[in-house]
Amino acid sequence: MNFLRGVMGGQTTGPQPTEAETIQKLCDRVASSTLLEDRRDAVRALKSLSKKYRMEVGVQSMDHLINILQTDRTDSEILGYALDTLYNVISNDEEEEQDESEDENAQKQGDDAGTKFTEKFLQDPEHITLLLTLLEEFDFHVRWPCVKLLTALLKNQGIQVQGIVLVSPMGVSRLMDLLADSREVIRNDGLLLLQQLTKGNAAIQKIVAFENAFERLLDIITEEGSSDGGIVVEDCLLLLVNLLKNNSSNQNFFKEGSYIQRMKPWFEVGEDNSGWSAQKVTNLHLMLQLVRLMVSPVNSPGATASSQKCMYQCGLLQQLCTILMATGVPADILTETINTVSEVIRGSQVNQDYFASVNAPSNPPRPAIVVLLMSMVNERQPFVLRCAVLYCFQCFLYKNQKGQGEIVATLLPSTIDANSISAGQLLCGGLFSPDSLSNWCAAVALAHALQDNLTQKEQLLRVQLATSLGKPPVSLLQQCTNILSQGSKVQTRVGLLMLLCTWISNCPIAVTHFLHNQDNVPFLTAQISENLGEDERLVQGLCALLLGICVYYNDNSLENYTKEKLKQLIEKRIGKENFIEKLGFITKHELYSRAALKPQPVFLSPEQMLFDHEFTRLVKELEGLITKAVHKSSEEEKKEEEVKKTLEQHDNIVTQYKELIREQDAQIQELKEKVASMTTQTEQLQATVSQQQSQIQQHKDQYNILKLKLGKENQSQSNNQGDTQVNGLQTEELSQLREQLEELRRQQTLLQTQLSEKDAVIDSLKSATQAAEGPAGGSDNTELLQELEALKNQVQSHLAEIGHLKAERQELQRRAEAASSDTAPPSDNSSDATNAELQSRLAAQTSETEKLKEGRSELEKQLASATSTVAILQTEKSKLQTEVQESKKEQDDLLMLLADQDQKIHSLKQRLKDLGETVEDEDDIDARDQTSDEEDEDED
Amino acid sequence: MAYAYLFKYIIIGDTGVGKSCLLLQFTDKRFQPVHDLTIGVEFGARMITIDGKQIKLQIWDTAGQESFRSITRSYYRGAAGALLVYDITRRDTFNHLTTWLEDARQHSNSNMVIMLIGNKSDLESRREVKKEEGEAFAREHGLIFMETSAKTASNVEEAFINTAKEIYEKIQEGVFDINNEANGIKIGPQHPTTNSTLPSSQGGQHAGGGCC
Repeated sequence: MNFLRGVMGGQTTGPQPTEAETIQKLCDRVASSTLLEDRRDAVRALKSLSKKYRMEVGVQSMDHLINILQTDRTDSEILGYALDTLYNVISNDEEEEQDESEDENAQKQGDDAGTKFTEKFLQDPEHITLLLTLLEEFDFHVRWPCVKLLTALLKNQGIQVQGIVLVSPMGVSRLMDLLADSREVIRNDGLLLLQQLTKGNAAIQKIVAFENAFERLLDIITEEGSSDGGIVVEDCLLLLVNLLKNNSSNQNFFKEGSYIQRMKPWFEVGEDNSGWSAQKVTNLHLMLQLVRLMVSPVNSPGATASSQKCMYQCGLLQQLCTILMATGVPADILTETINTVSEVIRGSQVNQDYFASVNAPSNPPRPAIVVLLMSMVNERQPFVLRCAVLYCFQCFLYKNQKGQGEIVATLLPSTIDANSISAGQLLCGGLFSPDSLSNWCAAVALAHALQDNLTQKEQLLRVQLATSLGKPPVSLLQQCTNILSQGSKVQTRVGLLMLLCTWISNCPIAVTHFLHNQDNVPFLTAQISENLGEDERLVQGLCALLLGICVYYNDNSLENYTKEKLKQLIEKRIGKENFIEKLGFITKHELYSRAALKPQPVFLSPEQMLFDHEFTRLVKELEGLITKAVHKSSEEEKKEEEVKKTLEQHDNIVTQYKELIREQDAQIQELKEKVASMTTQTEQLQATVSQQQSQIQQHKDQYNILKLKLGKENQSQSNNQGDTQVNGLQTEELSQLREQLEELRRQQTLLQTQLSEKDAVIDSLKSATQAAEGPAGGSDNTELLQELEALKNQVQSHLAEIGHLKAERQELQRRAEAASSDTAPPSDNSSDATNAELQSRLAAQTSETEKLKEGRSELEKQLASATSTVAILQTEKSKLQTEVQESKKEQDDLLMLLADQDQKIHSLKQRLKDLGETVEDEDDIDARDQTSDEEDEDED
Repeated sequence: MAYAYLFKYIIIGDTGVGKSCLLLQFTDKRFQPVHDLTIGVEFGARMITIDGKQIKLQIWDTAGQESFRSITRSYYRGAAGALLVYDITRRDTFNHLTTWLEDARQHSNSNMVIMLIGNKSDLESRREVKKEEGEAFAREHGLIFMETSAKTASNVEEAFINTAKEIYEKIQEGVFDINNEANGIKIGPQHPTTNSTLPSSQGGQHAGGGCC
């Protein structure tokens, strides 16, 4: 106010008129001032007035403020003031807190104002879009009031605002981004905003879920300490409830996203459960509610079943059962946990079996079921807890024949264990206790053990009760009717009648048992025909139903109470119309339709505990049938009976034929399958045969080629036929062959080195011959000849060796061939497996043959090169021989010359002798002749 | 169940082209002959295997009716893949593809993989749109194309799986920022996140594959 006075000058006389004027002036300034500072100051002033003079500010300034939001986008300060002002005008929350002193009337006025201003704001949907874009402004002073303003608008006009947000493409994702804001205030107010946004709008719920809401919310819950967390956790849980409630698509997403598993740690409560804070209790309540949403009986059966399975597999059910048996858990949490466990096990055999196996940590350990039933029949336990236990028991038995059998068995004489308290004992105790609530609960619980289970209905007829000393035991059925006739409380009688109706319906033996007691029918007719007060009408209706069941499920085995006689009795004693009217009392009861809604027994007060959900189903089923049965005359009945019989016969015939057809169908199916498998087999076999044929052809071709090749080569070296092929030893032989091949290769290299050595020798020989070519000496010649001889020998031996190798190679080839050809023929008609084996072997062998061929061609090449070397050597040799011949010839010539000269010398000597000269001895001359040849010539 | 990646898909296209049937065939392996109008969107999920890796597909099946168009637009941005479906026996559903595509391109992230699907391929006798036309449209707009039949289940698996393969390849190439969940991709709980932050983590991926 002081600030305002400063701004506005001295206009402070009498606030009311001047304030309105002031606001008008401020609005003018907001609208017309060109200076941003001016506008900003004016908006700030409006903000400060907006709480106290909400109406005035709202009426006059809203348009201007919205205008500011549109035009002054760059100045976050003015935006903040404008948003704050709008929030103050539109929101009803602050009002309530501020004006506590004002009377209710004024508050209502305020609410009206909020709605009015909201409507005004929403006149243009663009305004919401504008706010959504402003949310992108990071500045705290803009974003925060923007969030609050949107929340207030949603609170006042939810559906309309939801509609606008929905059609702005980025709207929901912008709002979702608030959850990621690092400023907790904004994140937490964002949660409140999303709560309002998702209320009752499945389309928005789905988009929010699509924008990863589950992930974010579960993260926040974990960060904040799960159930120990504060109000933020609660807000997250409330939002989760909004997203999942009645939204099967989101539930499916929640389950498929593996978020059920993330709920398990929520329920890990410690040993010490004393002193839970109110917040923790609230949080756990919501957590349990979330679990129940996923397995609610109103969900589609498939969805609930898969969630139940998941909860067992991830250990959530086990965790809940731990809470169930823990000590110190607050009663309301315990109650809600029991309700939750009930729905997690309902109709799921695995979960029901697990539940039956849970034991309380007492000494000796007792089954959880027994401990729970003890609470149900205990008057001192809270009413809601007893209801929860009854629900749990009902869910345990729902569609659980095994469980039903186990419960009934605890009542049968043969299986009673006297040492421990059993479920059956507790139920009987409850049935006949003085507490009517216990009577009702026990009766309904027992009825559920018989639901849709003929075996157990018959079994329970065997149960006998010891009453007082000296009296004979009474059957359970009889005891029930006895109590009924003693005129106890309505609740007790209603419970017992429901049990009896469930028990004997659809069970003719039980009907006979019931009718066998002579007192029962007169009691029922008396009850129905009497004109009793308002309170008794329901009991009358139930008695009519029971009598009707006796008519409808009567197998006429008792002569006094055949269908016909009972009907006559009804007509005489009660009157048909009266009977039908009384029967109608049941469905006309005000509590009937409530119970028919859902399986969980929920009652506003213990007195209202009258109808059971399953029983309402039975009534619906039987009412029409009984009405018809009672109305029908005996003739009609007979006719109908006949028709029924013929129909039954027809049915029988039809079912017989059906079965026959089914059988034949199965046979045909079987045969078809056989045919199909046979065709595929044949196809396979044909394929293998053709494959094999082509393979055989290939092998034959190969064989022929090899044979031809072999024919061309030496046939003489076939002395190793001693080796015989044995099919089974092929692999061994193959390895042998491989070894041999290896050896051959080694020999080959050896030969090659030898060859190169030889080459060297030949080279040296060549040079030697060249040297010896000039003055050919006789001794040199002989040496050369000798060496040549040796070389020849060596070449010969190499040739022999090569020949040997060739022979070996041929043998190998033959063996390989034999191996491959041996394998082919028998595979014609052998099984697939051996075929495959043989084929693989064949392939291996062919490749081996291939390798061998390669080796052979290599060897051949080497052989050729060796032969060529030999040829070269031979030419060399012949050359040398001719050279030797030449030198011999020369020598001969020289010898001739020598002889000539000898002769000359001789003649000359003779002449000298003749002339009387002394001549030297011949020998001397002989010895000297070679050296003195030239001299001799010179002398010539 | 554990998965290496999670992909978000949307299915879009005119009303009555068989979007919901495609989803039902893919998730439940059954066919629903009666046309039940989808209200808003419906959710479905299934696990598939690509390159030896478990991949969870979360699929939002949208309503084709014009009145739901504004709602379904909210789903474009957060999806990694879209199946754009038309009906080969109804030319008008093919003619509307351009509008759908514009809408998708405008509101989605630029990397979204779009698979064009010509559904009802079992109704050959009533065909109004040639396969070549679908192929040409896909080529022109850079989409993958397939003709499917939700009734006979022909190509249904392939349509969903091939889309996933394309996304997976884009991840391998480093096109997608997989740490931003707004792209419709999430890394599984066991996946080594350090590897995935590298844009070109080909080597890392292989190493990861080896140890599994």
